[in-house]
Amino acid sequence: MVGKKKLSIFILVVLITLSSLIAAENPTVTMNLLPTLTYKAHTDSWGALFNGDLSVALSSKQEENTRGEVVLKANTLIPITKLDDVLYKAYFKARFPSFRLTGGKTRLSWGDGMLFNAGDVLYGSNDISVSLTQAELRSTTDWLASVNYPLGFFSFAEVVFMAPETYKPRDTFFGARFYTVIKEIKVEGGYATMQKSGGRLHKPYFSLQGNLGFDWYLSSSLAIPEDGDIIKESSESWIISGGFFHLVTLPADMSLTLRLELLTRPFGQWETGPVSDSNAPLLLYPELVFAYSPSLSFILRSIISPLDLSAMSIVGVNWNVFEAFNLAGSISLATGDDEDLFAWSSSKTDSSSFSATIGSSWIF
Amino acid sequence: MYKKLPLLLIIGVLLFALPSLLFALTADEIIGEMDRLSTFETTYSIGSIQTTDRFGTKTSQFKSWSQGKKDSLIEFTSKAERGQKILRTEGSLYLFYPDAEQLIRMQGAALRQSMLGSDISYEDMTEEKNTLDNYTAKLEREETFKGRECYVLTLTAKTRSVAYPIQKIWVDKQTYLVWKAEYSTAQGRLLKVMEVLDTFNSGNRVLPKQSKIEDKMKKNSSTLMTVDSFEANPKLDRSIFTLENLTW
Repeated sequence: MVGKKKLSIFILVVLITLSSLIAAENPTVTMNLLPTLTYKAHTDSWGALFNGDLSVALSSKQEENTRGEVVLKANTLIPITKLDDVLYKAYFKARFPSFRLTGGKTRLSWGDGMLFNAGDVLYGSNDISVSLTQAELRSTTDWLASVNYPLGFFSFAEVVFMAPETYKPRDTFFGARFYTVIKEIKVEGGYATMQKSGGRLHKPYFSLQGNLGFDWYLSSSLAIPEDGDIIKESSESWIISGGFFHLVTLPADMSLTLRLELLTRPFGQWETGPVSDSNAPLLLYPELVFAYSPSLSFILRSIISPLDLSAMSIVGVNWNVFEAFNLAGSISLATGDDEDLFAWSSSKTDSSSFSATIGSSWIF
Repeated sequence: MYKKLPLLLIIGVLLFALPSLLFALTADEIIGEMDRLSTFETTYSIGSIQTTDRFGTKTSQFKSWSQGKKDSLIEFTSKAERGQKILRTEGSLYLFYPDAEQLIRMQGAALRQSMLGSDISYEDMTEEKNTLDNYTAKLEREETFKGRECYVLTLTAKTRSVAYPIQKIWVDKQTYLVWKAEYSTAQGRLLKVMEVLDTFNSGNRVLPKQSKIEDKMKKNSSTLMTVDSFEANPKLDRSIFTLENLTW
């Protein structure tokens, strides 16, 4: 029975993919080929990886009221165990006179923040398990249905239903948000509810964005449980994220972009010493991009845990040599003691103490 | 007879010069006419941006819609940036990245970022056509440029919110087309030069078909902006210039 179900899903997805291919304007292929050398201090071992990332995007013709896209994505380092691992996006959008319907596997970006975003109550953007070498730090997609209802030129309301992992209707994920601009400040607020292993959680959030000579953004959210010690668990779940972004124009067409984000848990464990990803009371994300020219840039990114004085940092270079063709290289380094969040001798299987990457990316 | 000569000369000069003095346009009138003739109720155009540097030429195609002086929407259709959109309306600029389904509101210095590595900034591309709100105009002289009689004007910014504190522009005396523009800092350092290479007619108006933009802070780099098709006053829904349409 399960085999037949999987086969049916597989055939359905293949049909969707083929029909998209026929109707697609032009497939877009994105290829990232990034050979990487790693060193793991915990085992004192070197490794050589071929980090290859391939995606094929098939977009529908640009109709006035319907459009869609299928994106297949695979990475040489991530095993494919099910079709969903390859199907990165498969969605349609339909525009009705007064609202817009989106259905399928895609992403919705709620809140503000490049790495830390407390307003992202749908996928969660408060953990540190990201690759700092990627241009897009958060890119999770999921099966969902959403309705976007415009409330003016710069305001809208959005409702989303996401498929539960348990396939049980009572575990359905639901969320809604409101987006508007008030006196030059973007104001966004919403709520999501989802079933987790410990029970149902209710997540209200708000997000603000504005400019004070530099761009700033601020988000905050709570995860309120239905059962247990509601006040204690709610306060412990409270997260605030914020950041600023500024671009400094330098002579000879050079520029420097500065970004600093922070994530804080006001009721986290504010004690010096080892912290874990889930209860780190304060994390910082500074990012410096020095553009020598519009096609050549140098990047410094770091996630810093000030309480245990550990950090994961990368220094990279990106050169847009030809149209849609880039050469890139980076070095990443963990600096922290054994029990720290970013330990040099971390025993975690997916972390390395040091890595060096050089490669290319191409879109055609 | 000789005693009356100066008087006759003055009368003669006045007779010849008075009409031109009476009918000469002021700098504000020239700018007003320039803005009027480059502004349509609505427009729809398809074009490309070609950036050339020492590694070759990069081409990005786009579609563009505009309404009046302040509203514009640009959608990129070339492969590397397909679906990226820029909306400028009511003084605000928004970007939409379809891959991340991300809506970004741009303000302040971010507006001066180079668009797709070209010599054009986001602000240049979506420039509002209300010059006199932001600049004080001064008519410097008249001169022939590319065989056309032009007014040469200097525009000095009234506020710090504009990208270029000083602009020097060559405006065609007949068509009010800006053939050339030099953009400088308040200290007079030249930042960019724009020159119209080719034109087309839309009704009785002459518009740039191909313009060359050179960022003078870069070496060996220039951008050609070409309008491949242009439609004046098409019927556009106001909803085109909304966040709903930007994220569509």
